[in-house]
Amino acid sequence: MAYNWNWGVFLQPTATGDDSTYLGWMFYGLKMTIGLSLSAWVIALLLGAVVGVLRTVPNRWLAGIATAYVEVFRNIPLLVQLFLWYFVMPELLPEKLGNAFKQTNPIVQQFLSSMVCLALFTSARVAEQVRSGINSLPPGQKNAGLALGFTLPQTYRHVMLPMAVRLIVPPLTSEFLNIFKNSAVCSTIGLLELAAQGRQLVDYTAQPYESFIAVTVAYLLLNVVVMFGMRWVEAHVRVPGYIGGK
Amino acid sequence: MISMNKVSKHYGSFQVLADCTTEVHKGEVIVVCGPSGSGKSTLIKCVNGLEPFQSGEIIVNGVSVGDPKTNLSKLRSTVGMVFQNFELFPHMRIIDNLAIAQVKVLGRNPEQAREKGLKLLDRVGLRVQAEKYPGQLSGGQQQRVAIARALSMDPICMLFDEPTSALDPEMINEVLDVMTELAQEGMTMMCVTHEMGFARRVANRVIFMDQGRIVEDDSKEAFFGNPRSERAQQFLAKILHH
Ligand SMILES: Nc1ncnc2c1ncn2[C@@H]1O[C@H](COP(=O)(O)OP(=O)(O)O)[C@@H](O)[C@H]1O
Ligand SMILES: [Mg+2]
Repeated sequence: MAYNWNWGVFLQPTATGDDSTYLGWMFYGLKMTIGLSLSAWVIALLLGAVVGVLRTVPNRWLAGIATAYVEVFRNIPLLVQLFLWYFVMPELLPEKLGNAFKQTNPIVQQFLSSMVCLALFTSARVAEQVRSGINSLPPGQKNAGLALGFTLPQTYRHVMLPMAVRLIVPPLTSEFLNIFKNSAVCSTIGLLELAAQGRQLVDYTAQPYESFIAVTVAYLLLNVVVMFGMRWVEAHVRVPGYIGGK
Repeated sequence: MISMNKVSKHYGSFQVLADCTTEVHKGEVIVVCGPSGSGKSTLIKCVNGLEPFQSGEIIVNGVSVGDPKTNLSKLRSTVGMVFQNFELFPHMRIIDNLAIAQVKVLGRNPEQAREKGLKLLDRVGLRVQAEKYPGQLSGGQQQRVAIARALSMDPICMLFDEPTSALDPEMINEVLDVMTELAQEGMTMMCVTHEMGFARRVANRVIFMDQGRIVEDDSKEAFFGNPRSERAQQFLAKILHH
């Protein structure tokens, strides 16, 4: 049976009568994916930096807590974490807060759960990169900072982190790409992001090839944009004359 | 200025420093030498608290380094240190390497700090390199910058840990010249180095270490004239023939 290609389907109004075209649905999903991934990424970077630094400090308790954090969020499957945040967490909150959450707009509930889930999962991975960046600095750098009279936090701030962060731009790029891909998991709790919209399109238009090709192209474009963005960052923070670690 | 009394340190059962006792007076230059692994770096890092030690006492300018109540950062800001691998901050321009601790630790205003930094760069002959990054300088130049950086804090004494060991031979003298000048100006210095020419020129005393112990602590004349221990004699014979 010959497949009936119809790229014009994207410009048709949707069958739900919601005053949108199927292309409009795709853009809605794309916006959701971008908004979710970017907000989770920002949180993941901040949290990951803090946890990664704590893993390297000379304090057994702080380092131990940070290690536990990383192990928990890195090793529980993302899908399970998502269900925990979305279905279980509201029940564990103090009753008032839990109820308030359950009464908000379902889209907000889905978005918040997804954002927290992706952010914490990714922060554990960012923390590992930050830690390995710090550990790959020449050990004398820390001593040089301390010897000048910097406190340990000042030494991290002015000496170790600026170089460690530069070293980990390439692995962070792949974490950044991952967060976009991982965000597709959030369709399982009903969040209408890009992948979910693709599936909806299949159901409503019976044009699966066009729908999935469009979704694929959208993810690829996101990839390309992120990669060029991170290349720009990498070139921008390059240190003149610096050739690798010692 | 620096006094050590029976300083000991061990990792598990391995003794890195054993009952090290010595004294550095104001204006003195002490050279510390000894075979690799004898504890020279560890000893010198104990002076500004970069290495903790388990027993004994170190007093720097009246402050006890091992006392938990001592503000180590403050103490360190008064003790200059120069490392084998220079340890300039690679992401900062040379001038910022010299200015940052003056601003963040001593609270000087950035303009003043820059001025002072430029003056010190002038002194080590590198003012024209002020806007470059460390990776763009030769090893000898980087080490001179590192000395200038330590001086920018107006230290009361200077510690050197093999400052010329990582350098190509043709760059060793430019660094030793800066150190010699510093010594002649009356800076109190404790230098781990195997540069015996430098020791002969400027040292007041020479300390010889072996297996974590201070085996010899002599005036330079006595040390080069006639070291008492066999280990020191062997060591000297080896390095002087190189
Ligand atoms: N963190 C450590 N754990 C165990 N042993 C160490 C450690 N750091 C240094 N040592 C040992 O302490 C000894 C003295 O080291 P060091 O002070 O660097 O010697 P030197 O500077 O004279 O070459 C060496 O034998 C070294 O292997
Ligand atoms: Mg050493």
